[in-house]
Amino acid sequence: MTISRRVFLRAGAFGLVSLGADPLFVDRAAYALGGRGTRGKTLVLLFQRGAVDGLSMVVPTGDAWYWRERSRIAIDRQQLLALDGTFALHPRLAPLKPLWDRGMLAPVQAVGSPSLTRSHFDAQDYMESGTPDRKSTTDGWANRYVAAHDREHAETPFRAVAFGPQLTRVLAGRAQARRVGDQRTFGVPPSHYDDDARLTRAFESLYQGSATGLVASSAAEGFDAIRMLKDADPGNRPAEHGASYPRSRFGQSMQQIAQLIKADLGLQVAFADVGGWDTHVNQGGGEGQLATRLDDLARAIAAFTTDLGERMRDVVILTMSEFGRRVRENGTGGTDHGHATAMMVIGGGVRGGTVYGRWPGLAPEQRHEGRDLAVTTDFRDLFGEVLTGHLGAASLDGVFPGHRPAPPLGLFG
Amino acid sequence: MTPRSAFLLAAAAVALARTLPAQQLVTSSDSARHALQRLSWGPTPGQVEQVAATGVVRWIEAQLAVPAVGDPARRDLERQLTSLRTPTGELLAREAEARRAAVARADSGAARPDATRMRQANPLRELAVEYAGLTLTRQAGSGHQLAEVLADFWFNHFNVFQNKGLDRVLLRDYLEQAIRPNALGTFEALLLATARSPAMLFYLDNAQSVAEGADPRDALAQRFPAMRNRRRPAANDPRMEQLRQRMPQGPNENYARELLELHTLGVDGGYTQDDIVGVARILTGWSLDRRTGAFQFNAWAHDRGEKAVLGQRFPAGGGREEGERLLRMLAAHPSTMHHVSSKLCAKFVADVPPDGCIDDAVRAWQQSGGEIREVVAAILRGPDFWSPTSVGAKVKSPHEFVVSAVRALGAEAARPQALVAQLARLGQPLFQQSAPTGWPETQEDWVSSAALLARMNFAVDLASGRMPGVRVDLDRLVPATADHGALLDAIDSVLLAGAMQPTTRRAILDEIAALPDAAAARAMAVGLALGGPDFQRQ
Repeated sequence: MTISRRVFLRAGAFGLVSLGADPLFVDRAAYALGGRGTRGKTLVLLFQRGAVDGLSMVVPTGDAWYWRERSRIAIDRQQLLALDGTFALHPRLAPLKPLWDRGMLAPVQAVGSPSLTRSHFDAQDYMESGTPDRKSTTDGWANRYVAAHDREHAETPFRAVAFGPQLTRVLAGRAQARRVGDQRTFGVPPSHYDDDARLTRAFESLYQGSATGLVASSAAEGFDAIRMLKDADPGNRPAEHGASYPRSRFGQSMQQIAQLIKADLGLQVAFADVGGWDTHVNQGGGEGQLATRLDDLARAIAAFTTDLGERMRDVVILTMSEFGRRVRENGTGGTDHGHATAMMVIGGGVRGGTVYGRWPGLAPEQRHEGRDLAVTTDFRDLFGEVLTGHLGAASLDGVFPGHRPAPPLGLFG
Repeated sequence: MTPRSAFLLAAAAVALARTLPAQQLVTSSDSARHALQRLSWGPTPGQVEQVAATGVVRWIEAQLAVPAVGDPARRDLERQLTSLRTPTGELLAREAEARRAAVARADSGAARPDATRMRQANPLRELAVEYAGLTLTRQAGSGHQLAEVLADFWFNHFNVFQNKGLDRVLLRDYLEQAIRPNALGTFEALLLATARSPAMLFYLDNAQSVAEGADPRDALAQRFPAMRNRRRPAANDPRMEQLRQRMPQGPNENYARELLELHTLGVDGGYTQDDIVGVARILTGWSLDRRTGAFQFNAWAHDRGEKAVLGQRFPAGGGREEGERLLRMLAAHPSTMHHVSSKLCAKFVADVPPDGCIDDAVRAWQQSGGEIREVVAAILRGPDFWSPTSVGAKVKSPHEFVVSAVRALGAEAARPQALVAQLARLGQPLFQQSAPTGWPETQEDWVSSAALLARMNFAVDLASGRMPGVRVDLDRLVPATADHGALLDAIDSVLLAGAMQPTTRRAILDEIAALPDAAAARAMAVGLALGGPDFQRQ
């Protein structure tokens, strides 16, 4: 859709109001205009909460210090999936290997935050607000992006959607964002009525008729959301191309995101959580606790890319985690809180097949405070590059306030 | 209350009485309704008429005059609550126990629960939910309504996030000992209480703020006094490296920054990054005892150098007292008066606070030395509060909506847990705003499609008696009748004090026309009235 719905509505509203036409009709007409042609780009944000050990995801096999510092939890060389001379994938990330081979997977090593906090809570907060060390930011960077770019994209009630039980910080803010907690309802609060159309109708007539300003205009979007969902019925779209999602909560979230993308409702930013990365104890190597989590992650992502098929041209997945873990393993077969970690960018338009990010090295003098993998790519630069390269952001002003961007890594174009 | 403030209060009441005849709210019932909407958690059935009959001024006067937060009528009820009774030290011990158990489970090979799962499995959760429920029942049931409104306002101003570590335990004492007793006192006392509160010190990391180069061995000596007599480990002892890694290093500016930006001066209050550093250094060593949950000043962690904040010199060698001097200075700063008065005006008058309101409040602040009662009284006797343009001009937050709906129906929440869960569903989980800014006050932040539909769902459930643990007796409010016109008249008068718009009335009448059963039609009509636009305004 080339004309944004908002512009259409504004232009059309004046003429129609005087004719006494139902403003909801305008909404529907706008959607009908856009119709099935509104296939925009989608960015899927995956947050690995708990600080994932990036050194176990994208293993620096070429760095002798990796083997020296991790006698108990280093992954067996035979099992590793070599990417290039320096890095290899964890064996349980095998479902992602075909994406690497097809040039769709771009791992980025040594990404992180300038903040030195080792608190999960604070570091997650900063990564979602996009303002490291500044706690008073109330909105998230993805919401600021959506709010600032509403003229460049079709506006629909499903533009920014978070999947999962918690209200997520990265999508909080002025722009409308929905949360899908319930697997069936896609964010529309379920009604207990036998005839739930009745409540919807009552809601419409109550809010539509009253001259309550904001309440009325925003409620109109609510009616839209309900109607659009009923028409598109995303929940009934089966996985395609033989894709099989893991039964985990994360697997279900990924399937829902795919369903919403396939429903062509204008989904632009999707967010899902995947937890269990805080491996202080018994982390394991090729098998074990961390391997199990990576297995779920990789199988869900692989099923998602299979399911979407050629639609992956318009989709990018970006993984993130609040910080990485210590280079040296601890006394209980785990790793403590560190600094930089690895993130992954996956999509049809990504220049994959290369590990990005300057590798700082694992020798003690190369580490951050002598202990941790140093940050060579500020997470805001990576996120910003994805917003520009994939979503086509014309400007990142205000998305990462106070941040002066570094030259791009070259992930796109 | 001091004799002086009693005098000022009486003067305020006289001034209020003088202003009232001039205001343009036509009837005493209009003014009673407006006062109850803004100064309480919403009118209960019949309360508008009651207050109108005895006098709005008298009601406000009485609300301002309560000694401290805590309705004596509720004391026996509250005495039974485990979440209030259990000593802090015991809660902290249980918290530590839960943490150890989680680690032990992980050691035994079971998957280590991540932070989210640990939160859910924590045995303290039940107590936290009980305490949240208590907070809602106080707001819904206390006779000290204005005090409860102010307690909530101050908690939000000095926000603490319950789900951050020890704050799960410390939040209760924060509210019971720092916020509530000071909600109607002086701003200075309130500020000092929050600054000293372990919950705030933990939430904004001041508990970990230590002077540059502070020696962790000194911390050990303080924690384990027996060590003082033993040989200290050498600085190059390998165990020291481990200790150093676990110890906080250097000053932490989080609290200092929010103290200036949010709690006192305001973001444009005229301070610099150097001032933030100065404040952080002055407050190094302000910490807590993690076993008792009490405030603790760690002399070893305190920066004894010279500092400067806002042009004021804090000479070298200072200790805990220089922090108190700093806080008193901030409490009395003109930027603070303006910033906090402006927030109070946004709360009580309009989202965009009128300048006149702020001026009145600041003047009262200067004259009274920051007596919260006087500042609020000044706002309430100003023309802006009573202006017809401010009537119904604010949209309720989800929290205000839920409590006001419970009050409007005269519902009894024997188990308010379902209401606590509703707040989360409506986007404002109690005590769970993670950012130190607190929840926003402006309607743009609360009005959204999904949010309004969710409000209507809640209202219909509540009116139909489908909210578990909450009893609603509609028979006491509006008789079930087949005459739907009469039903709507009764609902308008009892629940909305006559504020129902014709469009609302028509929509509800249309909707219940098809319902043959009088009781079902009544429940639906009441739910729609509460979920409809008129009840969202205050």
